[in-house]
Amino acid sequence: MVPATLRRLGTLGLIALWVLVSGGLLLLLALSVQNSVQYSKLQAWILLVNAIAVVTVSVLLARKIIELVRAFRAQVPGSRLTARTVAIFGSLVIAPLIIVYLFSLEFLNRGIDSWFKVEIKQGLTDALDLSKAAMDMRTQEYLRSTQIFASKLSDMPVSEWPRATDQQRAEAGALEVVVYGALGQVLASSSTGPTSTNLPRYATPEISRAMARGIPYSSLEPLSEGDYLINTAAPIATMPGPSEGRFVVALYPVPPQLARLSEAVQRSYSQHGELSAQREPVKNSFRLTLTLVLLLAMLTAIYGAIYSAEKLTRPVQDLIAGTRAVGKGDFGTRLPLPSRDEMGFLVHSFNDMTKRLRRAREETTRSQQAVERERERLSIILARLTTGVIAIGRDLVLRSANHAASSILGVDLEQGIGQPLAALTSDPRFARFASEVSERLARGEEEWREQMDLKPEMAGARVLVCACTPLPGDEHADNDAERQGGYVIVFDDISALLQAQRDAAWGEVARRLAHEIKNPLTPIQLSAERMRRRYLQQMQGEDAQVLDRATYTIVQQVEAMKAMVNAFSEYARAPDMKVTKFPLNALVTEVADLHRVQESGVRIEVDLDAHIEQVEADRGRVRQILNNLIVNGVEAVETSASGRVLVATKLETAGAAAYATITVSDNGPGFPREVLGRAFDPYVTSKPKGTGLGLAIVKKIVEEHGGRVEADNRPEGGARVRVSLPVTDGSRQLVARERRAEPRKERA
Amino acid sequence: MYPCRAHRLVSLLLALCAMLGGAPAARADALDGLLEVKSAYAQPEQGVYQLFARVAYPVNDDIRAALKDGLTLTFDLDVVVSRERRFWMDETIAEYTLKRELSYHAVSDRYVIRDLDPRNGGDQHTFPTVEEALDALGTVESWPFLLKAQLNPNRQYRVSLRAGVRRGRLPDTLRVLLFWTDDWHRESEWFSWSLPL
Repeated sequence: MVPATLRRLGTLGLIALWVLVSGGLLLLLALSVQNSVQYSKLQAWILLVNAIAVVTVSVLLARKIIELVRAFRAQVPGSRLTARTVAIFGSLVIAPLIIVYLFSLEFLNRGIDSWFKVEIKQGLTDALDLSKAAMDMRTQEYLRSTQIFASKLSDMPVSEWPRATDQQRAEAGALEVVVYGALGQVLASSSTGPTSTNLPRYATPEISRAMARGIPYSSLEPLSEGDYLINTAAPIATMPGPSEGRFVVALYPVPPQLARLSEAVQRSYSQHGELSAQREPVKNSFRLTLTLVLLLAMLTAIYGAIYSAEKLTRPVQDLIAGTRAVGKGDFGTRLPLPSRDEMGFLVHSFNDMTKRLRRAREETTRSQQAVERERERLSIILARLTTGVIAIGRDLVLRSANHAASSILGVDLEQGIGQPLAALTSDPRFARFASEVSERLARGEEEWREQMDLKPEMAGARVLVCACTPLPGDEHADNDAERQGGYVIVFDDISALLQAQRDAAWGEVARRLAHEIKNPLTPIQLSAERMRRRYLQQMQGEDAQVLDRATYTIVQQVEAMKAMVNAFSEYARAPDMKVTKFPLNALVTEVADLHRVQESGVRIEVDLDAHIEQVEADRGRVRQILNNLIVNGVEAVETSASGRVLVATKLETAGAAAYATITVSDNGPGFPREVLGRAFDPYVTSKPKGTGLGLAIVKKIVEEHGGRVEADNRPEGGARVRVSLPVTDGSRQLVARERRAEPRKERA
Repeated sequence: MYPCRAHRLVSLLLALCAMLGGAPAARADALDGLLEVKSAYAQPEQGVYQLFARVAYPVNDDIRAALKDGLTLTFDLDVVVSRERRFWMDETIAEYTLKRELSYHAVSDRYVIRDLDPRNGGDQHTFPTVEEALDALGTVESWPFLLKAQLNPNRQYRVSLRAGVRRGRLPDTLRVLLFWTDDWHRESEWFSWSLPL
């Protein structure tokens, strides 16, 4: 701000200085023309400085014009306005200046020419001739008088001459009458003043020469004060003979009136002669001065026009640049205030507008940032939320879904955003979910809550608690779907919860069964054995056989019931793991060998991964897992001639955790379809003599180890159960942490 | 008319260029001819140095015609007395100019020489011919120009004399306007001699 003000003040100062200097120079030029006495010595310098000023302004002007032309060609904003303004100002100034100049030039030429008109010259010559004639007449008259006096003197003796001289002077009205001798000595003289102060003049050489030749002499002599004297001389002749060199000189005054008029004519004639000689130079001088003044005025005016136009258009250029900047989104543009006039008001308004725009944009940006932050927070919450959330439009097109929704429904929903729900995937569980939702919404139920059982007959069945709420539409939204609004569906996978509840219930049943049934079994067995011991030996024949079979049956059945009760007890007991480090492959080999020995009709094979070395787990329980699975496999194929059970181990990694996977597969009939979904539930069995607790116990042990178990049918036939156990305690804890983070992740 | 005006403008511009060039071209005019100080000497008389000089001025028909047309010629005689210095520029002791003008008086048909020094009261003499007038102008007799008291007898002094003639006595207004035009002006070479003490 301050430098701009200083620059403006400096420019104004320079302009003022320039106007003062050029104006002063022109004034001095005019003064020097009018009053040369004071300025004549400065004249050359004034003109020179004026000429330098003209050259300087010309150079500056040329530079400005070149800049203007370049800007015009480059189509710099404002250059057209500047050019137009300069053209208007320039023509407004130049046209009158040139008219005045031409008029002045013509006037000057005519004026100066009029000084030298033929009539004036002729008039002056005539006046001069008239004066000369008048003077000549007077001179001749006085000469005659002198000559008469000279002839008188020749007739009288020299002694009479002084008196005659006085008389002659008085009679003729002469100023001085002097009689000279042959040697130039004064023989007699008479003058108007006292003798002591008016000594007679020496005869001039002209008079002397004329007298020597005997010729009378007369001349008109101008005096410095504009007066004239008539000087006459005549030789004094001695009859008959030469004059002997004596002569009379008489000075006569010219009447003042005649002298004044003659002097005026003389002065005018002289001045006219001087002027005539200088006619063209004078004209040229005036023309040059006039041209110089014109050039200076014109160039200064054009320069001033350009300067004013630039000053006028600079704020406009600033405004154009500022508007472009604002158009490009730069609201930080602030224009310098040019002045306090209307243009200044406009620029001030522009600055005010950009300030408001900047504030509004900052406000918008802050709001957007807040919205974005909120959205991010919400998306983080949604992503971390264990509850599945999906948003669909009224056209049932998926708008958004969180990660938990994908996990629960077993479909990558994020890939399907923008697609109708029904067309997303053919996965039966999701199809069931989609059809349930569609049906409800089609019935006009916009707000509902329901428990949804997705494909209970399939493996990995899900039970969801589902809630739907309509979403209001956004009337400012870009597309129709958002304007119409939609629904948000929130659902939770309660399969695990239900499973846990079921497990807990079964555990309680098992515990009570074990407690309630096991207690009377022992007395029953003991009683049966006692009866057998006491009465079998006493009975004979058929009675003995009946007792033997009956007691045997009782004992056998009680044993069987004990076994069943023990199994229940095993299922229901609290976890009490003894984790040790042992070679898994060796354990698998050991258990397989044991069963090979027992089951000679079934081929038991092992496929071991040599990478598995030590596993940290409860060895006894892992042995039980292997035992249960192999027994299941063997029982499934024991009726088949080519029964085969394969036990395979493999080291797998998932993230940072390492798993030892044990897969037990057979080539039997596989899991029945209706059992597959609940294979690990207690009392679910496809075998006629199974307790239904084998796989349930396996699952329980696996979960106690932080592992997972899956059951399915092989594509080529036969059942397959996969057990994954963390290799180390560290891996187990890592898995536990991950599960806490993603508790909804599918478990067997 | 227009070509004529254009020609005038061109000549004006040329005149301007010549003026800006700072060296007005010398022109031929009536003053061409001999202009020199033929002889000069100074003689002390009663404590005052008096100048005696003979100057030859150009005489020709052009000058006669110019004078008859009413022109006036101004004759300057510059006298400079300087003290000679060996290792520095000479010091000017005195500087005088004898300024006179010659004109033709048409009414009386006589040539008038007028002393322009106001101290001499405009003293003037008339002559019937130009030659006589110029002869009178070129003859300087007993012009007192320096007091002996102004001089140091132990120093060397030099007197320089230069004659100049120019066309003058225009009205002042015109004279200043004509400084760059053909204002006749000639000067002789300096005529110098040592002043006898």
